[in-house]
Amino acid sequence: MPELSRRDFLKLTTNTLLTASGLLGFGALFRFLGYQTEPLPQTEFDLGPASNYPIDSRTLLSKIPALLLHTDEGFSALSLVCTHLGCTVEPKESGFTCPCHGSKYDAEGSVLNGPAQKKLNALRVEVTTDGNLILHTD
Amino acid sequence: MRPSFFHHLHPPTIPAAQSRWRYTLGAGGTAIFLALILTITGALEMFYYIPTPDQAAISIQTITYFVPFGALLRNLHFWAAQLFIIVSAVHLVRVVFTGAYIPPRRFNYLLGLALFVISILLNFTGYILRWDQGIQWALVVGTNLIKTIPFIGDSLYQALIGGTQPGSATLIRFYAWHIFGLMLPAAFLVGWHAFRVRREGGIALPPPTLRTDSERITRNELVRREILAMLFTGSALLVLSIFTPAPIAPPIIEMSPLSGEVRAPWFFLWVQQMLKWGDPFFWGVLIPVIILIILILIPYIFPRPAESELGRWFPKSSGLAQVTLAIIAVAIIVLTLLALIPIK
Repeated sequence: MPELSRRDFLKLTTNTLLTASGLLGFGALFRFLGYQTEPLPQTEFDLGPASNYPIDSRTLLSKIPALLLHTDEGFSALSLVCTHLGCTVEPKESGFTCPCHGSKYDAEGSVLNGPAQKKLNALRVEVTTDGNLILHTD
Repeated sequence: MRPSFFHHLHPPTIPAAQSRWRYTLGAGGTAIFLALILTITGALEMFYYIPTPDQAAISIQTITYFVPFGALLRNLHFWAAQLFIIVSAVHLVRVVFTGAYIPPRRFNYLLGLALFVISILLNFTGYILRWDQGIQWALVVGTNLIKTIPFIGDSLYQALIGGTQPGSATLIRFYAWHIFGLMLPAAFLVGWHAFRVRREGGIALPPPTLRTDSERITRNELVRREILAMLFTGSALLVLSIFTPAPIAPPIIEMSPLSGEVRAPWFFLWVQQMLKWGDPFFWGVLIPVIILIILILIPYIFPRPAESELGRWFPKSSGLAQVTLAIIAVAIIVLTLLALIPIK
């Protein structure tokens, strides 16, 4: 093993310590910037009495954004957030189209053509005992 | 007289070839002039702009429709920013097509590239500060792209966005980046970049013994040409700003429905077009980063022009570097045009 001169040793030590403090500082900065000041977004939406949504109805809930469906089998909901990069898809006659990169989904939310890979998320709809609809987005 | 930075940049005489429009296109100097205009108009906008989600778009409407000369000021800021990107790109192309990046100017080439990246980030953050219906989907897409980066994506997203979705924390962060976090390094780099141009003997020319053209111009002539360029750029900017308003849209309201097609800001249209092809990380992050790495490597991996060939366009010995940049430039322009074709 080659001998390390005093000068090289000091230089190596200095550089190691500088790099370590730099990384520590960078890590601290990263954590500092990562703090969340805002409450987590709402994941539960009260949609009011279930009787407001008659059978065979399709209701656009643009605030969530989601599409609420009422069929013979009960209530279901589709998230309208494109699974590619998060734009809100537009409901068309026979499905959904994303205005950002052109992904197309059928009426059930399955991908017809890309760039999206995954189908639109199905959201959980719950009917409370007093007949209110609750939509869960998580 | 004690020499100043002005005298550093303007020596008593310089070779005439260093200030010929047809060689330099005056692009670097024009970019510095535009940067000055951006600083002044941006500082003035700060007197009215309010960086909160409720107030941002409204305060911009106030500047645009109520404040005397506010619309002109905002249009000047907008157009100077767009011209800055174009002029910087022209400057980059000029430097590569004339082989000016070889040592000793190699490091300054890297400084210039860093400035170019920062100016794109400045333009994007400035665009987001509008916080109106025109920018909301570019914000969603741009920030979701960060999430697709393996391993660090989620924490990077949180550090930049300040939450799990864009909100008031995001706006204040973009504001801080725009006027301080990006502006400060940009100002520093502009000074360093200009300082090194002079330090390394001015605009690239063959060494004195190989020069065929011994004509020189005086400091006064150089300043005259600079003022001429500033007058020309300034008039073009004024005409654009008077007749073409900067984009503005209604404030974002949660119920705002999407209408028609959504487009990225013009300098990211080429990325938007690639994103239509599939995997967001590959097309939206990896490819742009690879292009940047190729640009960084141009002075290192390609055959260099001979020193005697400097000072003119398309030196033969560095043809490969020119072809590479030309392919990148044409690809970006074609993708940008493709992105303008409506989605069926």
